[in-house]
Amino acid sequence: MAWPGGSPDSVELPLHQLGSEDTLDGLALPNTNVTGHTRINEDEATTSGITDGAADEQNRVIFINRPQPQKFVNNRISTAKYSLPSFVPLFLFEQFRRYSNCFFLLIALLQQIPDVSPTGRWTTLTPLVLILTVSAIKEIVEDYKRHRADEETNRRKVEVLSEGRWRSIRWEKLQVGDICKITNNQFFPADLVLLASSEPQSIAFIETSNLDGETNLKTRQAHPDTARLENISEMAEFRATLQCEPPNRHLYEFNGMLKEANAKTIPLGLEQMLQRGAMLRNTTWVLAAVVYTGHETKLMKNSTKAPLKRSSIDRQTNTHILMLFIILIVLSLISAAFNELWLLRRTNTDWYIALEEAQNANFGFNFLTFLILYNNLIPISLQVTAEIVRFFQAKFIAMDSEMYHAETDTPAMARTSNLNEELGMVRYVFSDKTGTLTCNIMDFHKCSIGEIIYNKPGPNERLEDTLLYHNLKEHPTAPDIAEFLTMLAVCHTVIPEVVDGKINYHAASPDERALVMGAAGFGWVFETRTPHSVTVMAQGKRLHYSVLHVLAFTSARKRMSVIARAPNGEIKLFCKGADSVIYPRLAGGAQTAQYAAATLEHLSHFAAEGLRTLVFATADIPEHVYKDWSNTYHKASIAIQDREQKIEEAALLIENNLRLLGATAIEDKLQDGVPETIASLLKANINVWVLTGDKQETAINIAHSARLIHTAMPLLLLNEDSLDGTRESLSRHCTELGENLRKQNEVALVIDGKTLKYAMGCDLKKDFIDLCVSCKVVVCCRVSPIQKAEVVDMVSRATGAVTLAIGDGANDVAMIQRASVGIGISGVEGLQAVCASDYSIAQFRFLLRLLLVHGAWNYSRISKLILYSFYKNICLYVIELWFAIYSAWSGQILFERWTIGFYNVIFTALPPFAIGLFDKICSPEIMIRHPVLYVPSQQGLLFNVRVFWVWAVNALLHSVLLFWLPMLLASHHVLWPNGKDGGYLVLGNLVYTYVVATVCLKAGLATHSWTWVTHVSIWGSIALWIIFIVVYSNLYPAILIGAVMRGMDRMVFTSLVFWFALLLIPAATLIPDLLITVVHNSAFKTMTEAVRESEIKKRDPAALLAHPRHSLTETARLLQNVRSVFGRRSTTRANMELELSHGFAFSQEEGASVSQADVIRAYDTSQPRGRC
Amino acid sequence: MATSSDTSDQNVKSRRPAESAFKQQRLPAWQPILTAGTVLPTFFVIGIAFIPVGIGLLYFSDEVKEHVIDYTHCMKEDAVNVTCATFIKETKMEEPCMCQINFNLTEDFKGDVYFYYGLSNYYQNHRRYVKSRDDSQLLGHLTLTPSSDCDPFAYADEDGKQKPIAPCGAIANSLFNDTLRVYSQDLNKMVEVPVLNTGIAWTSDKDIKFRNPAGDLKTAFANFTKPVNWRKPVWMLDPNNTENNGFQNEDLIVWMRTAALPTFRKLYRRVDHTQVGFSVGLAKGPYTLQVDYNYPVTDFDGTKTFIISTTSLLGGKNPFLGVAYVVVGTLCLLLGIVLLVIHVRCSKSTTEMINVNPRTPYS
Repeated sequence: MAWPGGSPDSVELPLHQLGSEDTLDGLALPNTNVTGHTRINEDEATTSGITDGAADEQNRVIFINRPQPQKFVNNRISTAKYSLPSFVPLFLFEQFRRYSNCFFLLIALLQQIPDVSPTGRWTTLTPLVLILTVSAIKEIVEDYKRHRADEETNRRKVEVLSEGRWRSIRWEKLQVGDICKITNNQFFPADLVLLASSEPQSIAFIETSNLDGETNLKTRQAHPDTARLENISEMAEFRATLQCEPPNRHLYEFNGMLKEANAKTIPLGLEQMLQRGAMLRNTTWVLAAVVYTGHETKLMKNSTKAPLKRSSIDRQTNTHILMLFIILIVLSLISAAFNELWLLRRTNTDWYIALEEAQNANFGFNFLTFLILYNNLIPISLQVTAEIVRFFQAKFIAMDSEMYHAETDTPAMARTSNLNEELGMVRYVFSDKTGTLTCNIMDFHKCSIGEIIYNKPGPNERLEDTLLYHNLKEHPTAPDIAEFLTMLAVCHTVIPEVVDGKINYHAASPDERALVMGAAGFGWVFETRTPHSVTVMAQGKRLHYSVLHVLAFTSARKRMSVIARAPNGEIKLFCKGADSVIYPRLAGGAQTAQYAAATLEHLSHFAAEGLRTLVFATADIPEHVYKDWSNTYHKASIAIQDREQKIEEAALLIENNLRLLGATAIEDKLQDGVPETIASLLKANINVWVLTGDKQETAINIAHSARLIHTAMPLLLLNEDSLDGTRESLSRHCTELGENLRKQNEVALVIDGKTLKYAMGCDLKKDFIDLCVSCKVVVCCRVSPIQKAEVVDMVSRATGAVTLAIGDGANDVAMIQRASVGIGISGVEGLQAVCASDYSIAQFRFLLRLLLVHGAWNYSRISKLILYSFYKNICLYVIELWFAIYSAWSGQILFERWTIGFYNVIFTALPPFAIGLFDKICSPEIMIRHPVLYVPSQQGLLFNVRVFWVWAVNALLHSVLLFWLPMLLASHHVLWPNGKDGGYLVLGNLVYTYVVATVCLKAGLATHSWTWVTHVSIWGSIALWIIFIVVYSNLYPAILIGAVMRGMDRMVFTSLVFWFALLLIPAATLIPDLLITVVHNSAFKTMTEAVRESEIKKRDPAALLAHPRHSLTETARLLQNVRSVFGRRSTTRANMELELSHGFAFSQEEGASVSQADVIRAYDTSQPRGRC
Repeated sequence: MATSSDTSDQNVKSRRPAESAFKQQRLPAWQPILTAGTVLPTFFVIGIAFIPVGIGLLYFSDEVKEHVIDYTHCMKEDAVNVTCATFIKETKMEEPCMCQINFNLTEDFKGDVYFYYGLSNYYQNHRRYVKSRDDSQLLGHLTLTPSSDCDPFAYADEDGKQKPIAPCGAIANSLFNDTLRVYSQDLNKMVEVPVLNTGIAWTSDKDIKFRNPAGDLKTAFANFTKPVNWRKPVWMLDPNNTENNGFQNEDLIVWMRTAALPTFRKLYRRVDHTQVGFSVGLAKGPYTLQVDYNYPVTDFDGTKTFIISTTSLLGGKNPFLGVAYVVVGTLCLLLGIVLLVIHVRCSKSTTEMINVNPRTPYS
């Protein structure tokens, strides 16, 4: 069970008291936490955040079953980003928060100044509007989905009491003060107060997985005074005033009171609270009054907006854009200065230009002219191209059938598309345990009875064939076996439910459920529970045990006992628990007792397999002893002071002189493929940390079974109670590591929440981080959600690496939001983690494909896309600078003004998409089989400052060739046999054509995998430009644009020089690039290239990767340098380790609103249920 | 949000993604391997193809005959030691200046022969110059308010009245106005080389972009004045040929298509090969260039040239394309050889043709 569902025992008591005081102050309401069941734990720190000044606000007064004098929020919810009227302003605000859009808007405004713009007035605004339109369409499409989901929720039906009968209305119509009826397996439409239920004592079970990620059922109980409201006429008569605190976000807190006319005030507390988002379970119906609706419900109050995350590449791109902006300014200044010099020499001589009479001709205006001229150095379309590409990449993730989980019908989902490439750079994976690594299914695996290990019957194995069955017949330990199985079937708090002739077991503890089912598997079927007895069907006989006492499980006691009267009248004590607490209580001492030694050995054996163990013992209690003890116990249980301690002491009296029967091994079932996935992640140089709210022993069990820790791996255990202890222990470990500190060692660090608190304090933080990064595996157990987030944060900050958090429950929300990338496990548990996550997958094993395939692909695609976008812009627009040298630094453009504007939007728009969506180096199979291929993207080798400059210089060289080659070619302007001469635009169009061709072909050179889309985009772009010339050259004067282009098609295309150069210039420009690529690929081949090549040639790259020479690369060395420095285990925690080595683990909800002992007393499953 | 689409989706159809090759990113793809071994044939092919093409282009360029005469500083005809350049400067272009230059064509100019004038250090590509025109006016849409782009050559005083200029703008204002004639000094007899002043502009310009207003040109332009630097109004540009007059005058049209570079040439006249003695081109021999020198360029250190040229399929004389082809072709051959060496050495070093060494980076 995840953290809140686990047993936060040791931290609970002090905090609980603290919490009660907290809730008291400021509220004049009666404190209803008298039973001490209010759940206040550290969980609140995240699910509820900071207390939001409730004290100042007025208490809410609700008139039940009557119209409210006060207007409350309606029950309609909206999670959409925009509404119809708010779309335009909000959208524009979002868009113009981006610097680049602001920049282009500024350029568009500057263009309005007369005589300043070299490209007319609308050539920036038009593409900008086009691009904003595309963004707007994308936003609308995305928001429409949210609207639809909201609509669907709002239109669900709920039954409401109206004019004396039940009426079905939409959720959105539900109002505060309404009384509604919810039936089994329905969600609560708002925050409700339970008035009555179909179950005995008005108990109701709810599943809160949507709220906190816990799957175990929670109990709620109506106050006895309202439980009478069972039928509709009584309900219709019901008039009461409900007073409660104002809406808040505390999921585990509720205080209120209900005042009926002429009756005493009833206190209301969490026991009566049914939160929106939770679901009614195992309860036929409940009647409840609405207290908080719509956005005032606790669920909605908790739905924090996911923080805006940006990928590292995005951030780097911004710096590059900033750099380009600076270059742009510098270029403009230089150009303006040259213009000034030119003017100084020639203003008076060049009579034909009439410079002295020019307007807006000072240095400042010239600077603006050049700013406009060069503004496209910053790629206008990059943002929107990248956005659309990411959108489709996210779709590819969602459409990947390899990440589709058929059992739960859940495909992967990308909830954000900003982080696609971040998936390719992950260095640390922080994983939750329950529901993430494990399925949250406990499975009875084997048991040891009387020194013999029995496996559970296999799926195709008949019970009669099992060893146990045989031994039960003739083995000397047969009575022990029978007693053991009886104990499994009796000693628990499970409630059976018969549905269609099959028995369903409901349990607050998944372990117990597994045990009962295990017993059933061996033929001891637990059938009925009445308030005072249990019936077990064993070997054809019905055994009837009266349950006299249940001594509940607590983490401190580490055991649980049932005192029962056997059918033959004997009184038996059944006790199960950790070996460390059972063994000392064995009759005859821990060492010498019957079976003790062999069972202990078996326990170690089980633990090594990663199984959870429990030890079972029994004792016969003579009648008179029981009587005496029963009195003592009764006195203890009614004591006013120190009741719990007294009960515990009383329990100690009877749990003694036990006789060991055996032990069980329960498998906390791992999800499919978890060990393999973890092994691959480790090979991909990713560090895997497990952060769990669960107990240390459970966490270590799982780490073992997930192959995160192997038996030879030394464990560093950090369990300290004080700051000093933590400091001492940290420094000792650091010293022991010696020179291997901060290098990766084959060591696992296990730390618990309390020690973590000290270790993360200011003064120890550095040492702790050093220690953490020195260990290959880190397991943090018993950590609260906020601590999970802090750990993630700490690692992100300290190492600067990309972190990924994966979890399934509400307790993982904080960490998911804090990590660079948050992954939610969808399908089984609640939706809260998924809603907070950036990506959701159904199974942990899909993480491998998400990272190694999609992550690596997206990273290389986006990197290439961005670099290419910079490249193509530099390539074209720097030509304007070269032309400025020949055009008197006047800011004259070489190309037609609209062709410049459409360069990014039309003529070179497609290749980036082809790269961004379809390029791939290796096939998914190869990427998964060789996790080492993840390393280049992880280390950010494909996109960094160096690579950026390589591309920029490349673009610069290309622009030089692409300008001067055509210029020399057309220097005399006469390109036709008829002797006519072309003007500046002939040269411009020549250059432009060669640029488009070169740039498109360059995209091809950068593409590793040419699909038909790639072909279409490259050849299509060139063709588009040719078509564009033809069309555009024939518009004027029918349409009054492009006068200079008139007739250009005939002139350009009839020039043989044009065609010959079209062959020559792109080739000449790209040959150096090709040469460098080839030499690089031949002589300095990278690992990725080598693997790619061998894949295409259908060779097995395994040999290549296994080659000893390759393993010596820097990273591989890092990977292999993991060494063991710990010859001996730390002796300080020998005791702890002993227990660990025996694998004890048991989980049960503790401190529930109704204790387990009370719950079982309430049930009589021999009677049919439901009365409504 | 959290509560939506949980129960209601249960009976909807499966959410299993479609198995199409596109959606699963399994589109068939061509995956080129760019290594020395695979690419070197390309280099050889380019090299072998480009060199002959380049030689062919060079041949074409070489076929073109061209004679360039710089007449910037030609001497005034009836004066001693006065260049026309200084003369027109001193007289502020009030008086005409004639000059003559004798030259010799050393070989026959066969085929169509074209006369160009060339200017250098002349920034026809200056931003303020390029935009200083009114295309709408040139379409024949005469309005009394020419485009503001024409400033400061939009209005001028005529007879004390301010009138709009037609054609307006700096380009039209600076129309090249030297008159160039070539005489053949055959047998001591000066024969003027017959020329055509039409067919020198782009047909699209002549037919579409430049239109005269309807009706009689003189009346149409009555409310307009000539550009300040002009000697005669626009309707007098070619009084002999109505087709070549007004905005549709081809000298004007050629001039209006601004040049890309500060050194440029523009087509001036075509030799009329229908005339006797010039049917095959210009024969070699002595010629005289007669210049009506009006256009000032010396202020900004410009030059004026007169160019006689034939053309090839590729246009004027320019060996650059051919040279470029030969150079690129040769480079490709050389690189091909280099790649061959790399290929041989790299494939020798490992049997698997993969050269990964301890320093091999991951990417």
